[in-house]
This record gives sequence, structure tokens and C-alpha cells, in this order.
Amino acid sequence: MLLRRPVYIFSTYFVMIFSCVFFLTLFKTGSPEKMPIAVVDLDHSSISRRVVHELNATQAVDIVAVTDTYEDARKLMQQGRVYAFVVVPDRFYADLASFKRPEVVFYTNNAYTIGANTASKQLLTIMTLASAAFQREVLRKKGLPDYMIMKRLQPIAIEEHFVGNPSSNYLVYLVGILLPGILGLIVLMITIYSIGSELKWKTSRDWLRAAQGSFTRAMVGKLLPHLILYCTLGITMNIVMVRMMHFPINGSFLWLNVGMVAYILAMQSIAVTFVGIIPILRVALSAGALYGMLAFSLSGFTFPKMGMLPFVQALTNIFPLRHYYLVYVNEVLFGNPITQSLPSVAVLIAFTGLQMLIMRRLYRALLYQYFPKD
Amino acid sequence: MDIQRWIDALLTRLVDTWRVFVLELRRIFRDSGVMLIFFVAGLAYPVIYNLIYIRNVVENVEVAVVDMSSSPASREFVYRFDAAPEVTVTHTCATLEEAQALLKAQRVHGIIYIPSDYESVLMSGMETAHISLYCDMSSFLYMKNVLTAASMLMLDYMNHIQIDRYEAMNIGGETGWALVQSVPFRAVSLFNPTGGYCAFLVPPILVLIVHQTLFFGINMPQGTAREENKEVFILPGRRRRASVFRLLIGRGAAYFVIYMAIASFALILVPILFGLPHLAMVGDLLRFMVPLLLSTIYFSIFFASFQKERETGMVTMLFTSLIFFFASGISWPWESMNPFWKYLGYLLPSTWGMHGYVHLQTMGATLETTAREYHVLWVLTLVYFSMCALLYAYKAWRMDTAARREQAHRRMQSKQFIEQHISKSRL
Repeated sequence: MLLRRPVYIFSTYFVMIFSCVFFLTLFKTGSPEKMPIAVVDLDHSSISRRVVHELNATQAVDIVAVTDTYEDARKLMQQGRVYAFVVVPDRFYADLASFKRPEVVFYTNNAYTIGANTASKQLLTIMTLASAAFQREVLRKKGLPDYMIMKRLQPIAIEEHFVGNPSSNYLVYLVGILLPGILGLIVLMITIYSIGSELKWKTSRDWLRAAQGSFTRAMVGKLLPHLILYCTLGITMNIVMVRMMHFPINGSFLWLNVGMVAYILAMQSIAVTFVGIIPILRVALSAGALYGMLAFSLSGFTFPKMGMLPFVQALTNIFPLRHYYLVYVNEVLFGNPITQSLPSVAVLIAFTGLQMLIMRRLYRALLYQYFPKD
Repeated sequence: MDIQRWIDALLTRLVDTWRVFVLELRRIFRDSGVMLIFFVAGLAYPVIYNLIYIRNVVENVEVAVVDMSSSPASREFVYRFDAAPEVTVTHTCATLEEAQALLKAQRVHGIIYIPSDYESVLMSGMETAHISLYCDMSSFLYMKNVLTAASMLMLDYMNHIQIDRYEAMNIGGETGWALVQSVPFRAVSLFNPTGGYCAFLVPPILVLIVHQTLFFGINMPQGTAREENKEVFILPGRRRRASVFRLLIGRGAAYFVIYMAIASFALILVPILFGLPHLAMVGDLLRFMVPLLLSTIYFSIFFASFQKERETGMVTMLFTSLIFFFASGISWPWESMNPFWKYLGYLLPSTWGMHGYVHLQTMGATLETTAREYHVLWVLTLVYFSMCALLYAYKAWRMDTAARREQAHRRMQSKQFIEQHISKSRL
């Protein structure tokens, strides 16, 4: 069965390989850089032109346009061409020369959060550095030695430590959970399909006969080859990420994979439960798809669980991806002793018991085929 | 005479198109699977995604403090850090190890470590005081909150400490400020001013929901028709003749009519109900929806034509929802994306739909400002329509030749039969 229907092999291998290649090559860099911005030059002085020049020279931002009016820059932003723009005010040079502290405003577009954050962070750094450079000039003229100036310019410094992901690589947040998420989606859909199609094509009795009438033997015979296929894929995926893409791994790689196997088992069990409750292929698939897609949002790896409404927080627990994510955080980022991962693995294994609840109903559906074909 | 024939031909075509339209509508409404996708997923998903992200921003991320200095200066720093909306200090630890244990147990998502020489260094006025910050990397937003709160506070502090020091040097008042911050600067967030996650993520997701439910919904009845050996590529009730345009226009219109309603709910009503940004004029949105829906419909019809079984589309293509989202350049900016995937994303109606919709709704652009997205969607409509037309014409031609060959074969057989009979009778 596994080999006869191309949909199994196609979906599983093609989809996983495609997704791996897609997500592992999607990002040109681990963190975004050189965001396009615009400058509104209201001053038209030599110094404002120099500001533009200097900004461009920093390599942190990419000035794609210099406009004469605020409206033009705003329009560029509304067209999605720039993530931010800097307004150099009228009389900038004159005010600067007479110590009147002309204010520079930069406008960002938080409709594109990552682009806007990057651009505004880089602009902030540039402005702070520019301000410091100006001070250094003044202090030098006052005759202070350079080493003292530097200390004076930065009374406080913050040292950032990114626990478990020292380079704050975006891939580590995203791909380490997204890919297992996609695998889980496939496990769910294919398992529903493989059992549901027996009902749809009325072949379920032949299947039971092949298993000598034993429901358990029939299920194990069908799902075990799948399980082996998925586990191989899941573990290969982890090997690619950790060993080849050099994701950090601070805990036990073995336990990460134990979590993976438990996660796949849990997804299979949920799929069986879906077909058991609704033994009609198309409805079970649609319901499975509705549930499966929500796992990506509700596992809380992008928008954390603490930011959700209380009842939504409770809902996150019904998604195995959530529990796999907890194992992942533990083993990849924190390197806690495995006792910390144990509760999540236990929950995943508990999911495996879910299918027991509908076994009788599914068995009868397979035996009597009394549900409508669609 | 000629005009009469033209009018007749036009009428036949109109009637045929109407028949295809009605037939497709009937097919949709009889199919429980499609109804589930269109009217349950299409209407419930916009609401569910809003409920998940309804709080919009993450506030008060828990942070532990390790204050080795325990001086007035360090206490003030901690106090002001706690006051930042992004974070809240929940634990005070005696050692860094203790705090790190809390972080690893996910009880806190950040640590501020103030060394014992903090105050003396600050007082000396000659050295740099170092504060260490540890961030929980399990979610991007934890890190962002802790970093933002700390760096904003630090910048503010720096200026004030510098001012104090200049005052000590008898450079006070405006001159001091002119030195410390010769060019004061301010960041203003023009659109989505709170920087909320919901207002950033949900609008493009709404477009994606419309796109994907349409995609899967179109996939299913095509698969069913193929399964039941009904003719998908030729006019119903006629054995031959390609009538590509009648088929495609009639069929497309059926989905278009249903989806103008569903998309109006998801893209116009839901943002108002849930307080998402809704700066666009309704007229602009409706006009934008026309090419968005049409390009999506023909995109889906084209890919559905390769579908041989009704359910496989759902099984094999479900993951595309994620691919389409990340290929759009909405979350990860285009500029930092691998060019290959960027250009591939350009071919998807969802990409332009999401960008155009965000420009209209979140950024209050007019349809004129969004001309690029609007026109690209029309171009994509044309492209996918032509691709469908070519495919349909080819399939109809193949069925045609197959039918003709069969006819020829049958004629041949009967001819042989007759010949044999004749020859027999002659004998």
C-alpha cells in the first residue's frame, strides 16, 4: 500500500525535501541587513548632503531615494519601497552651527515589523555614533586625551548574551520548529488519508482480512511502515540542522530525537482519532487540515504563549507541536538536564493513548462500512 | 444575414457560459467538503487568528535582576527598568547562577546583571560601567522586549550622566545638551504605531486565508469530476469541440461571486470587528479584490487541472500555505531573501495580494499608490487565464483526437465486418 500509491511517497519526500531546501536557503543572511530607506532633505545644505553621504557609507542602511518633501517619502513608504525615512529639517545647518540642536526625526513603518525594526535600530546606532563623534571633536579641542574621551562618551555599556543562540540566528528560532511542524502536518494528513481511503474505496474489509481479522494487527501493519518513514525523515532533518547547518545544540541530541519520535507518534494517534470520530475521508481531511494549520500559531514559537488570552493559552496544549517545541527549547537552547524535557515527552506519549478511545468506533466503521462515502 | 449569425453565435456563447456557471455553482453547493472549506474555514479562520493574537503586544516579560552593586545608582537603574512597559522585574537573585537557573526553567525570560563596581565606576567618571544582559532566545519577541527596554533606558541614562559630568566641568545648561546631543532625534512609527504583532501579522494572514481556501476549494470539485470521469475540459453535454473561454469564464464567475462575499467579510468586515487597522476606503478595497480573486481563481484552476483524485490536493499541498507566506516577503524582508525564492514569490497572487492589502489597510494608501500591486495582479490574472486556456484547449484537442480515432477505428471495424460478411456471402 505504501509503495503502490504515489501520493504517499510524493507527499512525504517531495514536500519535506522541498520545505527543507526552501527554509534553509530562504534567508540570505541570519539576520536582516541593509534595509532600504529614504531621506527627506529639507535643508539642501552641504552638511545635509554630507549626512546622506555618510549614512550611505555606513553600509547599515541603503538610501534608495532623497526627496524634497515629506509627502514624497511617505508615498514611497506606502508603496512599500522603504521601511523608514529620515527627515533632515529646514535650517539644519544653520541651527547646528549655532548650537540650536536641530531635531532629526525618523519615521518607520511597523506594518513590516522586521524591516522597520532593523532600519530603526541601525539609524539609532548611527545617530548615537554621530553624536559621539561630535562630542569627541569638541573634547579634543578642549585638550582631553583620547582614552579619557572614549570612557567619557560611554559611561554605561550593555553586554548582550543570547542564551543558547549566541549569534541570534533567526533560522534557529524559526526553522527548527517550522520543519517539524510541516512534518507533523504531513503525518496527520497522510495517516487520515491512508485509513480514510480504505473507507472511501470500500477496501477496509480486505484490509482487515489481510490482518486476519485483528484490528490491532491491521493498524500496526499499516502505521508501522509509515512511522519508520517519518522517523527517518525527522531524524535526518535534525541531523541536517544540527550537524550540517551548525545550529547550536546545548543539550542532548539523542533526547531531541526521542522528542521527535514521540511527536510523530502523537500526530499519528491524533490522525487516527480524527478518522475514528469522522469516518468520512473528505470531512476528516478538511477537519484535520483546519486543526493542523493552527498548530503553527498556537505552539507559541513566534508569538509567545504568555501574550495570548487565557483560554487560548489552554488550547495550546492540544497541539503536539507545542510540546515538541518545549523539548526543542530545552535541548537546543538551554541544555537543561533531561528531566526538564521529560514532562513534555510524557505528554506526547500520552497523546498516543488518545486513539484507544475511538478504537471501537473505527473498527465498526471499517467492518460495516456504514458511513456515507462522502 | 451575417449580423443574424453573429448574434446567434453570441447568444449561444452567453447561454453556454451561463450553463457552466450554474452547473459549477450547483457542484460547489452540493459538495460538503467544499462547503466546509469555503464557509467554515473561510469564515472561521479570520476570526480564530484574531482571537489568537488579540492582545496584539507582549508586555511585561518577566526579568530577573542580579544586583551585585546594591547601591542607590543600581537600584535606580533597576527601578526605571522595571517601569518600562516591555518588561517587569519579577525576581531578585543573589547570584548569576541562581538567575540563570530561573532563565533555563523559563520562569524568567531575561536577566540583568549589575556588577559590584557599578556605582564606583560611574562616580569616578572615567570608566565605562558594564551591565550584562541575558536574553531568552526561545522566542524572538522575548529578546526584542528585553533588548528594547534596556537599550532605551541606557541611551537616556547615558545622556543624563554625560550632562552631569559636563556640569561638573562647568559646562552646564544648553551648552551641555548641545554637546551631549548636538542633533536630538526621535523615532516615529507612522503605521501600526504600537508595533503590535496582531496588526502586523493578521492582515496578510487574512489575504492568505482567502487565497488558500479558494485554492483548496477549487481543487476538490475538479478532483471529484476527474474521479467520476465527468468531462472537466469540455462543455457539459457535448462530446466535442473546445469551448475554452465559455468554460473558464463560467467556472471562474461561480467562484468569483461566492468569494466576493467571503472576501468582503474577511478583508473588510473582520478588521473593523476586531479593531485591526482599517484605513482603506471600501471602494478601493472592493476594486483591489477583483484582480486578487480573479488571479487566485485562475491560478487555482490551472493547478487543479493536474488533480486526478479529489482528496490528494489537500494532502499534498497543505504545506504551501507556509511556503506562500514566507515567500511573500511580508515577515522576512525581500531585501534579505534569497533572490531565487523572491522571484518565485513574485509569481504568486498571494504575494501581491498581501502587500497590496497591507498598503491599503494598514498604511492607508490609495489604490493609485498601490498601482504596482494592483496591476501585477491583473497581469497575473491574464497569465494564469491564458495558461488555463492553453491547457484546456490541449486537453479538449486530445479528447477530440482520441474520440475521432476511436470513431475511425470503429468505422474500420464495421467496414471490415461488412467486407468479411460480403466476402462470406459471396462465397
